[in-house]
Amino acid sequence: MKSLRSIAIAAFSLCLIGTVAAHHSAVQFDFAKQVQYTGVVKEFAAINPHMRMTLELKDAKGTHEVKFEGHSTNNMYRAGYRKGMVQAGDTITVNAAPYRDGTEGGYVIAASKPDGTHFGVKGRAQTVQQTGEEVRKQAEGR
Amino acid sequence: MAQAGRVVKSVAGMVLVLAAGMCFAADHPDFTGVWTNAGAAGIGGATRAAPAALPLKPEAKARIEAYQKLMSKTGDSPGGWCLGTGMPGSMLGSGGYPMEIIQRPEQITVIYEAHSETRRIYFGNRNAPQADRVPGRNGYSSGRWEGDTLVVETDNLVDQIDQRNTSHSDQATIVERYSLDGKDEQGRRVLKAEMTMTDPVFYTAPVKMTKRWAEVPNGRVLPYECPEEMWRDRIEKLAKEAGVPVP
Repeated sequence: MKSLRSIAIAAFSLCLIGTVAAHHSAVQFDFAKQVQYTGVVKEFAAINPHMRMTLELKDAKGTHEVKFEGHSTNNMYRAGYRKGMVQAGDTITVNAAPYRDGTEGGYVIAASKPDGTHFGVKGRAQTVQQTGEEVRKQAEGR
Repeated sequence: MAQAGRVVKSVAGMVLVLAAGMCFAADHPDFTGVWTNAGAAGIGGATRAAPAALPLKPEAKARIEAYQKLMSKTGDSPGGWCLGTGMPGSMLGSGGYPMEIIQRPEQITVIYEAHSETRRIYFGNRNAPQADRVPGRNGYSSGRWEGDTLVVETDNLVDQIDQRNTSHSDQATIVERYSLDGKDEQGRRVLKAEMTMTDPVFYTAPVKMTKRWAEVPNGRVLPYECPEEMWRDRIEKLAKEAGVPVP
Protein backbone atom coordinates (compact mmCIF):
# COMPACT_ATOMS: atom_id res chain seq x y z
CA MET A 1 0.00 0.00 0.00
CA LYS A 2 2.95 2.28 0.73
CA SER A 3 4.16 1.88 -2.83
CA LEU A 4 0.70 2.74 -4.08
CA ARG A 5 0.69 5.80 -1.89
CA SER A 6 4.10 6.86 -3.16
CA ILE A 7 2.92 6.42 -6.74
CA ALA A 8 -0.08 8.53 -5.89
CA ILE A 9 2.07 11.23 -4.32
CA ALA A 10 4.41 11.18 -7.34
CA ALA A 11 1.42 11.52 -9.59
CA PHE A 12 0.15 14.45 -7.58
CA SER A 13 3.52 16.17 -7.68
CA LEU A 14 3.44 15.98 -11.46
CA CYS A 15 -0.11 17.05 -11.45
CA LEU A 16 -1.29 19.27 -14.25
CA ILE A 17 -4.55 20.34 -12.74
CA GLY A 18 -7.29 20.54 -15.29
CA THR A 19 -10.71 19.26 -16.05
CA VAL A 20 -11.15 16.12 -18.06
CA ALA A 21 -13.88 16.79 -20.54
CA ALA A 22 -14.05 13.43 -22.25
CA HIS A 23 -15.52 10.57 -20.27
CA HIS A 24 -15.92 8.25 -23.19
CA SER A 25 -12.62 6.54 -23.65
CA ALA A 26 -10.16 4.45 -21.69
CA VAL A 27 -7.15 5.90 -23.49
CA GLN A 28 -6.79 8.68 -20.92
CA PHE A 29 -5.98 6.21 -18.13
CA ASP A 30 -2.68 4.44 -17.47
CA PHE A 31 -3.74 0.87 -16.73
CA ALA A 32 -0.15 -0.20 -16.01
CA LYS A 33 -0.32 1.76 -12.74
CA GLN A 34 -2.60 1.97 -9.75
CA VAL A 35 -3.20 4.72 -7.26
CA GLN A 36 -5.16 4.39 -4.03
CA TYR A 37 -7.46 6.89 -2.40
CA THR A 38 -9.54 6.72 0.76
CA GLY A 39 -12.34 9.22 1.12
CA VAL A 40 -16.01 9.81 1.72
CA VAL A 41 -18.47 9.20 -1.08
CA LYS A 42 -20.17 12.41 -2.16
CA GLU A 43 -21.82 11.03 -5.23
CA PHE A 44 -22.08 7.59 -6.80
CA ALA A 45 -23.93 6.36 -9.87
CA ALA A 46 -23.80 2.91 -11.46
CA ILE A 47 -24.65 4.03 -14.99
CA ASN A 48 -23.70 3.17 -18.55
CA PRO A 49 -21.40 3.30 -20.26
CA HIS A 50 -19.29 4.28 -17.22
CA MET A 51 -19.83 4.30 -13.48
CA ARG A 52 -19.20 7.66 -11.77
CA MET A 53 -18.07 8.39 -8.26
CA THR A 54 -16.99 11.55 -6.46
CA LEU A 55 -14.96 11.23 -3.27
CA GLU A 56 -14.21 13.89 -0.70
CA LEU A 57 -10.56 13.57 0.25
CA LYS A 58 -8.70 15.09 3.17
CA ASP A 59 -4.96 15.27 2.61
CA ALA A 60 -2.06 17.71 2.34
CA LYS A 61 -4.12 19.73 -0.11
CA GLY A 62 -6.92 20.11 2.38
CA THR A 63 -10.45 18.93 1.81
CA HIS A 64 -11.29 18.55 -1.86
CA GLU A 65 -13.37 16.44 -4.23
CA VAL A 66 -11.98 13.98 -6.74
CA LYS A 67 -13.92 12.34 -9.54
CA PHE A 68 -13.63 8.75 -10.75
CA GLU A 69 -15.19 6.67 -13.45
CA GLY A 70 -15.31 2.95 -13.97
CA HIS A 71 -16.96 0.01 -15.64
CA SER A 72 -20.41 -0.24 -17.15
CA THR A 73 -23.14 -1.34 -14.77
CA ASN A 74 -22.96 -4.79 -16.36
CA ASN A 75 -19.25 -5.25 -15.74
CA MET A 76 -19.64 -3.75 -12.25
CA TYR A 77 -22.15 -6.49 -11.39
CA ARG A 78 -19.81 -9.12 -12.81
CA ALA A 79 -17.08 -7.69 -10.59
CA GLY A 80 -19.18 -8.11 -7.45
CA TYR A 81 -21.04 -4.80 -7.18
CA ARG A 82 -24.68 -4.97 -6.07
CA LYS A 83 -27.41 -2.34 -5.83
CA GLY A 84 -27.03 -0.10 -2.78
CA MET A 85 -23.49 -1.24 -2.02
CA VAL A 86 -22.08 2.29 -2.26
CA GLN A 87 -23.97 5.18 -0.68
CA ALA A 88 -23.22 8.86 -0.22
CA GLY A 89 -21.50 9.26 3.14
CA ASP A 90 -19.72 5.89 2.99
CA THR A 91 -16.00 5.79 3.63
CA ILE A 92 -14.41 3.89 0.79
CA THR A 93 -10.94 2.96 -0.44
CA VAL A 94 -10.50 2.95 -4.19
CA ASN A 95 -7.72 1.52 -6.31
CA ALA A 96 -7.71 3.21 -9.68
CA ALA A 97 -5.75 3.45 -12.89
CA PRO A 98 -4.56 7.08 -12.84
CA TYR A 99 -5.17 9.70 -15.50
CA ARG A 100 -2.19 9.94 -17.83
CA ASP A 101 -2.16 13.73 -17.54
CA GLY A 102 -1.82 13.64 -13.75
CA THR A 103 -5.35 14.74 -12.95
CA GLU A 104 -6.43 13.34 -9.59
CA GLY A 105 -8.85 10.43 -9.76
CA GLY A 106 -8.90 7.64 -12.32
CA TYR A 107 -10.61 4.52 -13.57
CA VAL A 108 -11.79 2.34 -10.70
CA ILE A 109 -10.10 -1.07 -10.58
CA ALA A 110 -11.47 -2.10 -7.19
CA ALA A 111 -13.15 -0.57 -4.16
CA SER A 112 -13.67 -1.65 -0.57
CA LYS A 113 -15.38 -0.37 2.56
CA PRO A 114 -14.25 -0.83 6.19
CA ASP A 115 -16.97 -3.46 6.71
CA GLY A 116 -15.30 -5.68 4.11
CA THR A 117 -17.69 -4.88 1.29
CA HIS A 118 -15.68 -5.13 -1.91
CA PHE A 119 -16.06 -5.08 -5.65
CA GLY A 120 -13.55 -5.09 -8.42
CA VAL A 121 -11.20 -7.22 -10.41
CA LYS A 122 -9.96 -10.29 -8.63
CA GLY A 123 -8.86 -13.79 -9.43
CA ARG A 124 -6.77 -14.44 -12.50
CA ALA A 125 -4.60 -11.33 -12.39
CA GLN A 126 -1.33 -11.56 -10.46
CA THR A 127 0.24 -8.14 -10.83
CA VAL A 128 -0.82 -4.52 -11.07
CA GLN A 129 -0.01 -4.61 -14.78
CA GLN A 130 -2.02 -7.80 -15.40
CA THR A 131 -4.94 -6.44 -13.43
CA GLY A 132 -4.80 -3.18 -15.31
CA GLU A 133 -4.66 -4.97 -18.64
CA GLU A 134 -7.70 -7.04 -17.70
CA VAL A 135 -9.66 -3.93 -16.75
CA ARG A 136 -8.46 -2.00 -19.81
CA LYS A 137 -9.71 -4.77 -22.09
CA GLN A 138 -13.10 -4.67 -20.41
CA ALA A 139 -13.16 -0.87 -20.50
CA GLU A 140 -12.42 -0.86 -24.21
CA GLY A 141 -14.47 -3.97 -24.80
CA ARG A 142 -17.03 -2.50 -27.12
CA MET B 1 -66.46 -48.21 -38.45
CA ALA B 2 -66.09 -45.13 -40.60
CA GLN B 3 -65.62 -43.08 -37.45
CA ALA B 4 -62.91 -45.48 -36.18
CA GLY B 5 -61.18 -45.11 -39.55
CA ARG B 6 -61.25 -41.32 -39.23
CA VAL B 7 -59.76 -41.53 -35.73
CA VAL B 8 -56.99 -43.82 -36.96
CA LYS B 9 -56.29 -41.45 -39.85
CA SER B 10 -56.23 -38.37 -37.64
CA VAL B 11 -53.93 -40.09 -35.08
CA ALA B 12 -51.67 -41.20 -37.92
CA GLY B 13 -51.66 -37.64 -39.21
CA MET B 14 -50.71 -36.27 -35.81
CA VAL B 15 -47.93 -38.84 -35.49
CA LEU B 16 -46.64 -37.81 -38.92
CA VAL B 17 -46.71 -34.11 -37.98
CA LEU B 18 -44.93 -34.82 -34.70
CA ALA B 19 -42.37 -37.01 -36.43
CA ALA B 20 -41.79 -34.35 -39.06
CA GLY B 21 -41.31 -31.78 -36.30
CA MET B 22 -38.87 -34.02 -34.48
CA CYS B 23 -36.99 -34.69 -37.70
CA PHE B 24 -36.83 -30.96 -38.41
CA ALA B 25 -35.59 -30.25 -34.90
CA ALA B 26 -33.06 -33.04 -35.17
CA ASP B 27 -31.88 -31.79 -38.56
CA HIS B 28 -29.92 -28.88 -37.20
CA PRO B 29 -27.97 -28.20 -34.03
CA ASP B 30 -29.64 -25.84 -31.57
CA PHE B 31 -27.51 -22.79 -30.82
CA THR B 32 -30.05 -21.38 -28.34
CA GLY B 33 -28.25 -20.14 -25.25
CA VAL B 34 -25.89 -17.55 -23.84
CA TRP B 35 -22.35 -17.46 -25.18
CA THR B 36 -19.13 -15.75 -24.15
CA ASN B 37 -15.55 -15.77 -25.38
CA ALA B 38 -14.08 -19.25 -25.50
CA GLY B 39 -10.89 -19.77 -23.55
CA ALA B 40 -11.66 -18.06 -20.25
CA ALA B 41 -13.58 -19.09 -17.16
CA GLY B 42 -17.02 -17.56 -16.67
CA ILE B 43 -17.67 -14.47 -18.73
CA GLY B 44 -14.57 -13.88 -20.80
CA GLY B 45 -12.72 -10.64 -21.39
CA ALA B 46 -13.19 -8.56 -24.48
CA THR B 47 -11.54 -9.42 -27.73
CA ARG B 48 -10.86 -7.37 -30.79
CA ALA B 49 -10.61 -8.50 -34.33
CA ALA B 50 -6.98 -8.47 -35.35
CA PRO B 51 -6.60 -9.70 -38.90
CA ALA B 52 -2.96 -10.14 -39.90
CA ALA B 53 -2.92 -7.82 -42.89
CA LEU B 54 -5.97 -6.15 -44.34
CA PRO B 55 -6.01 -5.96 -48.15
CA LEU B 56 -7.09 -2.32 -48.06
CA LYS B 57 -7.43 -0.20 -51.17
CA PRO B 58 -5.38 3.04 -50.97
CA GLU B 59 -8.47 5.27 -50.71
CA ALA B 60 -9.86 3.19 -47.84
CA LYS B 61 -6.49 3.17 -46.07
CA ALA B 62 -6.33 6.97 -46.36
CA ARG B 63 -9.81 7.36 -44.86
CA ILE B 64 -9.01 5.03 -41.95
CA GLU B 65 -5.74 6.82 -41.22
CA ALA B 66 -7.51 10.18 -41.25
CA TYR B 67 -10.11 8.82 -38.84
CA GLN B 68 -7.47 7.37 -36.51
CA LYS B 69 -5.53 10.64 -36.51
CA LEU B 70 -8.69 12.51 -35.58
CA MET B 71 -9.56 10.09 -32.75
CA SER B 72 -6.10 9.25 -31.40
CA LYS B 73 -5.99 11.98 -28.74
CA THR B 74 -9.37 11.26 -27.21
CA GLY B 75 -9.70 7.56 -27.97
CA ASP B 76 -13.38 8.18 -28.69
CA SER B 77 -15.24 5.30 -30.26
CA PRO B 78 -18.80 4.69 -31.43
CA GLY B 79 -19.42 2.47 -28.38
CA GLY B 80 -18.12 5.14 -26.03
CA TRP B 81 -20.86 7.37 -27.41
CA CYS B 82 -23.47 4.61 -27.17
CA LEU B 83 -23.65 3.76 -30.82
CA GLY B 84 -24.08 0.04 -31.46
CA THR B 85 -21.03 -1.74 -32.79
CA GLY B 86 -22.48 -2.94 -36.09
CA MET B 87 -21.36 -5.85 -38.19
CA PRO B 88 -18.88 -7.40 -38.28
CA GLY B 89 -17.73 -5.86 -34.98
CA SER B 90 -20.88 -6.90 -33.11
CA MET B 91 -20.17 -10.54 -33.90
CA LEU B 92 -16.41 -10.34 -33.39
CA GLY B 93 -16.57 -8.26 -30.20
CA SER B 94 -19.36 -10.11 -28.43
CA GLY B 95 -18.13 -12.27 -25.61
CA GLY B 96 -16.53 -9.42 -23.73
CA TYR B 97 -20.17 -8.86 -23.06
CA PRO B 98 -22.04 -12.11 -23.77
CA MET B 99 -24.61 -12.73 -26.47
CA GLU B 100 -27.84 -14.69 -26.43
CA ILE B 101 -29.08 -16.76 -29.35
CA ILE B 102 -32.77 -17.61 -29.62
CA GLN B 103 -33.35 -20.14 -32.36
CA ARG B 104 -36.62 -20.82 -34.13
CA PRO B 105 -36.96 -22.62 -37.46
CA GLU B 106 -37.95 -19.46 -39.33
CA GLN B 107 -35.81 -16.92 -37.45
CA ILE B 108 -32.72 -16.79 -35.30
CA THR B 109 -32.38 -13.78 -33.01
CA VAL B 110 -28.99 -12.76 -31.63
CA ILE B 111 -28.93 -10.29 -28.74
CA TYR B 112 -25.53 -8.81 -27.97
CA GLU B 113 -25.49 -7.57 -24.39
CA ALA B 114 -23.49 -4.43 -25.15
CA HIS B 115 -25.93 -1.75 -26.29
CA SER B 116 -28.63 -4.47 -26.34
CA GLU B 117 -27.77 -4.71 -30.02
CA THR B 118 -30.03 -7.18 -31.82
CA ARG B 119 -29.66 -9.07 -35.09
CA ARG B 120 -32.47 -11.00 -36.71
CA ILE B 121 -31.59 -13.73 -39.16
CA TYR B 122 -34.52 -14.69 -41.38
CA PHE B 123 -35.08 -18.00 -43.13
CA GLY B 124 -37.02 -18.79 -46.29
CA ASN B 125 -40.33 -16.99 -46.61
CA ARG B 126 -39.64 -14.90 -43.50
CA ASN B 127 -37.18 -12.88 -45.58
CA ALA B 128 -38.09 -9.36 -46.68
CA PRO B 129 -37.87 -8.47 -50.37
CA GLN B 130 -34.54 -6.79 -51.17
CA ALA B 131 -36.25 -3.42 -51.77
CA ASP B 132 -37.83 -3.50 -48.29
CA ARG B 133 -34.59 -4.14 -46.40
CA VAL B 134 -33.57 -1.16 -44.30
CA PRO B 135 -29.83 -0.39 -44.29
CA GLY B 136 -28.16 -0.24 -40.88
CA ARG B 137 -24.99 -0.87 -38.93
CA ASN B 138 -25.86 -4.57 -38.58
CA GLY B 139 -27.32 -4.80 -42.08
CA TYR B 140 -29.95 -7.34 -43.06
CA SER B 141 -29.26 -11.02 -42.41
CA SER B 142 -30.64 -14.06 -44.17
CA GLY B 143 -29.92 -17.60 -43.00
CA ARG B 144 -29.87 -21.12 -44.38
CA TRP B 145 -28.57 -24.46 -43.21
CA GLU B 146 -25.90 -26.47 -44.98
CA GLY B 147 -26.01 -29.68 -42.97
CA ASP B 148 -25.04 -28.76 -39.41
CA THR B 149 -23.61 -25.42 -40.47
CA LEU B 150 -25.65 -22.24 -40.23
CA VAL B 151 -24.81 -19.91 -43.10
CA VAL B 152 -25.74 -16.25 -42.63
CA GLU B 153 -25.49 -13.73 -45.43
CA THR B 154 -25.60 -10.06 -44.51
CA ASP B 155 -26.17 -7.14 -46.85
CA ASN B 156 -27.59 -3.61 -46.56
CA LEU B 157 -24.72 -2.48 -44.34
CA VAL B 158 -23.83 1.20 -44.05
CA ASP B 159 -20.46 2.88 -44.54
CA GLN B 160 -18.58 2.50 -41.27
CA ILE B 161 -15.09 3.44 -40.14
CA ASP B 162 -13.93 2.75 -36.61
CA GLN B 163 -11.05 1.44 -34.53
CA ARG B 164 -11.90 -2.23 -34.96
CA ASN B 165 -10.02 -3.04 -38.14
CA THR B 166 -13.31 -4.03 -39.69
CA SER B 167 -14.21 -0.81 -41.49
CA HIS B 168 -16.21 -1.15 -44.68
CA SER B 169 -18.35 0.67 -47.22
CA ASP B 170 -22.06 0.32 -47.82
CA GLN B 171 -21.19 -2.15 -50.58
CA ALA B 172 -19.86 -4.73 -48.10
CA THR B 173 -21.44 -8.13 -47.73
CA ILE B 174 -20.62 -10.67 -45.04
CA VAL B 175 -20.98 -14.44 -44.99
CA GLU B 176 -20.78 -16.17 -41.61
CA ARG B 177 -20.63 -19.93 -41.17
CA TYR B 178 -21.57 -21.08 -37.65
CA SER B 179 -20.91 -24.60 -36.43
CA LEU B 180 -20.43 -26.38 -33.12
CA ASP B 181 -16.76 -27.11 -32.53
CA GLY B 182 -16.57 -29.65 -29.71
CA LYS B 183 -16.16 -28.65 -26.08
CA ASP B 184 -13.62 -26.59 -24.19
CA GLU B 185 -11.56 -27.77 -21.20
CA GLN B 186 -14.47 -26.91 -18.91
CA GLY B 187 -16.84 -29.09 -20.89
CA ARG B 188 -18.73 -26.16 -22.40
CA ARG B 189 -20.03 -26.32 -25.97
CA VAL B 190 -17.97 -24.22 -28.34
CA LEU B 191 -19.55 -22.30 -31.20
CA LYS B 192 -17.31 -21.27 -34.07
CA ALA B 193 -18.02 -18.59 -36.66
CA GLU B 194 -15.95 -18.27 -39.79
CA MET B 195 -16.57 -14.94 -41.42
CA THR B 196 -15.79 -13.61 -44.87
CA MET B 197 -16.34 -9.94 -45.63
CA THR B 198 -16.29 -8.83 -49.24
CA ASP B 199 -16.20 -5.15 -50.13
CA PRO B 200 -15.08 -4.00 -53.59
CA VAL B 201 -14.86 -0.39 -52.38
CA PHE B 202 -12.57 -1.01 -49.38
CA TYR B 203 -10.70 -4.25 -50.03
CA THR B 204 -8.83 -5.91 -52.89
CA ALA B 205 -9.65 -9.39 -51.55
CA PRO B 206 -12.14 -10.97 -49.13
CA VAL B 207 -11.33 -10.47 -45.43
CA LYS B 208 -11.54 -13.66 -43.36
CA MET B 209 -11.86 -13.86 -39.59
CA THR B 210 -12.78 -16.55 -37.06
CA LYS B 211 -14.46 -16.21 -33.68
CA ARG B 212 -15.12 -18.82 -30.98
CA TRP B 213 -17.58 -18.68 -28.11
CA ALA B 214 -18.20 -21.01 -25.15
CA GLU B 215 -21.71 -21.60 -23.83
CA VAL B 216 -22.50 -20.12 -20.40
CA PRO B 217 -24.57 -22.72 -18.53
CA ASN B 218 -27.81 -21.10 -17.36
CA GLY B 219 -26.33 -17.79 -18.48
CA ARG B 220 -28.18 -14.50 -18.53
CA VAL B 221 -27.66 -11.48 -20.70
CA LEU B 222 -27.99 -8.33 -18.62
CA PRO B 223 -29.81 -5.14 -19.63
CA TYR B 224 -27.60 -2.40 -21.06
CA GLU B 225 -29.00 1.11 -21.38
CA CYS B 226 -25.98 2.95 -22.64
CA PRO B 227 -26.75 6.69 -22.79
CA GLU B 228 -27.41 7.14 -19.07
CA GLU B 229 -24.18 9.07 -18.68
CA MET B 230 -25.00 11.51 -21.48
CA TRP B 231 -28.56 12.00 -20.24
CA ARG B 232 -27.24 12.74 -16.76
CA ASP B 233 -24.86 15.33 -18.25
CA ARG B 234 -27.76 16.88 -20.14
CA ILE B 235 -29.91 17.22 -17.00
CA GLU B 236 -27.00 18.76 -15.09
CA LYS B 237 -26.37 21.24 -17.91
CA LEU B 238 -30.03 22.29 -18.10
CA ALA B 239 -30.21 22.69 -14.33
CA LYS B 240 -27.05 24.79 -14.31
CA GLU B 241 -28.35 27.02 -17.11
CA ALA B 242 -31.65 27.43 -15.25
CA GLY B 243 -29.83 28.16 -11.98
CA VAL B 244 -31.66 25.38 -10.15
CA PRO B 245 -30.49 22.25 -8.32
CA VAL B 246 -30.48 19.00 -10.29
CA PRO B 247 -33.99 17.60 -9.77
